[in-house]
Amino acid sequence: MRPSRAEYPYRWRLMDRLEAAADRLFPRRWSRWTGWLMLAPALLLVAVLLIGLVQIADASLHTLDRKTFRTSAAYSLDNYRAALDQGVYLAVLWRSVLGAAIVTLLTLLLAFPYGYVMVRTRSSNLRKLLLIALFLPFFIGQVVRAYGWLIILGNGGLVNDLLGLVGVPPQRLLFNYPAVLFGLVQYMLPFAVLMLAPALTAIPEETEAAAGSLGANWLRTLWHVVLPMARPGLVGAGLVVVSLTLTDFAMPAILGGGGQDFIANAIYDQFFRTSDQGLGAALTLLLVGIGSLVVGAVFTAFGAGTLAMGRART
Amino acid sequence: MTRHIQRPSLSRRAVLRGGVAFGGAALLAQLGAGRAFAAEPEKPAELIVRAWGGSWVDALKAGVSDPFTAATGITIRHDLTEDNEIQPKIWAAAEQKRVPPIHINWDTTTNATKSALRGVAEDLSDLSNLAGTTDLAKPVGLEGYPIVNTYGYVYVLAYRPEAFPDGAPKSWKDLLDPKFKGRIALYNDGIGFHFPAQVAGGGKLEDIPANMDACWAFVEQMKAQEPLLGEDPDFTTWFQNGEIDAACTISTNAREARKNGVNIAWTVPEEGCKFDTDGLWIPVGLPENELYWAKQYINFALTKDAQQVWLDGLGLPGVVPGLTPPADLVDDASYPTKPADFEHLIRISAQVQVENESEWFAKFKAIMQG
Repeated sequence: MRPSRAEYPYRWRLMDRLEAAADRLFPRRWSRWTGWLMLAPALLLVAVLLIGLVQIADASLHTLDRKTFRTSAAYSLDNYRAALDQGVYLAVLWRSVLGAAIVTLLTLLLAFPYGYVMVRTRSSNLRKLLLIALFLPFFIGQVVRAYGWLIILGNGGLVNDLLGLVGVPPQRLLFNYPAVLFGLVQYMLPFAVLMLAPALTAIPEETEAAAGSLGANWLRTLWHVVLPMARPGLVGAGLVVVSLTLTDFAMPAILGGGGQDFIANAIYDQFFRTSDQGLGAALTLLLVGIGSLVVGAVFTAFGAGTLAMGRART
Repeated sequence: MTRHIQRPSLSRRAVLRGGVAFGGAALLAQLGAGRAFAAEPEKPAELIVRAWGGSWVDALKAGVSDPFTAATGITIRHDLTEDNEIQPKIWAAAEQKRVPPIHINWDTTTNATKSALRGVAEDLSDLSNLAGTTDLAKPVGLEGYPIVNTYGYVYVLAYRPEAFPDGAPKSWKDLLDPKFKGRIALYNDGIGFHFPAQVAGGGKLEDIPANMDACWAFVEQMKAQEPLLGEDPDFTTWFQNGEIDAACTISTNAREARKNGVNIAWTVPEEGCKFDTDGLWIPVGLPENELYWAKQYINFALTKDAQQVWLDGLGLPGVVPGLTPPADLVDDASYPTKPADFEHLIRISAQVQVENESEWFAKFKAIMQG
């Protein structure tokens, strides 16, 4: 006897059909490959990126003939020699690495208290305010934000107007290295807070209360309890900030006044100004190499933090 | 990639468009271009012309694109992709035997020369209106006409008159006055500044490119003045915001800033200013009919009427004899018309420039980024 409609609803039957169809497409005996199947789109994407990287590596081994503006057929390391021999590229590389380190440090110093207050505050209004202040910049692109700083920090801008009220003559606040770092810190702060917040949320408030009940003041609690427990978040946030800063283009271009290039600006110049794609490719691979070294060093020293999805390195 | 072909229809709009086209064709016949359209191939629905934005594209639209559309019925779409950024796309299309992303590239002659040397530019020697142009239209050091230069321009010394109470600066060396520290702007690749710097540094133009030590010595001195380095739009913004007192920039940008109410003047100092050209060229790989009409566009840009309106907008001297300078540029050093006007202008062939550009660029960057 067939089951009644009430006993076996249509949506169950639909699910049965779908399951049968899925079984035909991907038989149950293949189930051990299910994980790989789900990974396939991501792997495909990575493969495409790798193919691109291989092509860039290939391009970096051919030099530009300026009589024909075509690259040589022969392979050579001349582009790498040019990149390492010319002081300008080393200076720009150093500026990028130093900038990434300073910006990461400053951003973490600012992001930690921001994230901590956002997570711990009892006031829902304050939490909402902090969240809005955090997310609002995401709706404004990096370039627009940089132009905003041009208006605020310019010779005739708001800050100089305020300084003028107390008799200070207009100061050149833009087009220098500190201006670039300032813009980058402001840009990176939301990323860092978003990476830190889950780690801070995961620290039970009772742990801090226990430390206090055992006689630790807030500073000792912070140093011995909160910071160690927030380490995965700090590491994850640091990795994101250092990677994004190292490869940033817009802030040095806009706030640097043309004299504070990062390596991404130098790469752009080679690809689009001098048409020397080989040298541009060599600089690109140097950047990839330095970025990988930095991330590898952090992984080795501190683990992958929240990027390891909660598996702390022991 | 196929492109849409314009189909005739009997709509009211089509009739009106036909009227405009008829009127335009009559105008073209008057200009001597009518014969070129006698055996015309199928018209494309549109031609894509890469252009610079702002007042640059407005001038092109008024002087060339709109009249060309009126004459032919072919819509002109202006692609404002940066000239440096469209170049690799065109090169990639040619390499892969694809149809290029644009029909006509409005480009600096230096940039266009790179594409010509690479062999991705169509030869334009058969344009009928080339016969009526001056020598300026011919690209130096290249065979035939892979590019047609359409006007010249000067990298002037633009300045705020309030910052120079004793009158216009007479020399590029005047910018080394400590009071201008942080108040000068140059192009971020140094373009426009190298050659006058060679003279200001005590060198000779004949030594370019073999010995440019004098140039680099002067750039070093200028570096101590902590100049801002930027692009065309930056100069206008910096002048408007009072960030700078002087800049080495194309006269068109200075003129545009003045039109926008900025108190700005310009001069050609005693060491001279770089004179260069821009041009139009067509990438290889277009279908035959589109190539034909793209050529007709450039041919049209070489007519006296088109040049007059286009270059009035830009404030630049063209390549057709008998053009009338805009009223505000009569006898202006940035608008050379007579041989004597060129005495203080420095012109180096595009080929020398493209062959040495990377080295000069790296050297300039090394000084400025150090």
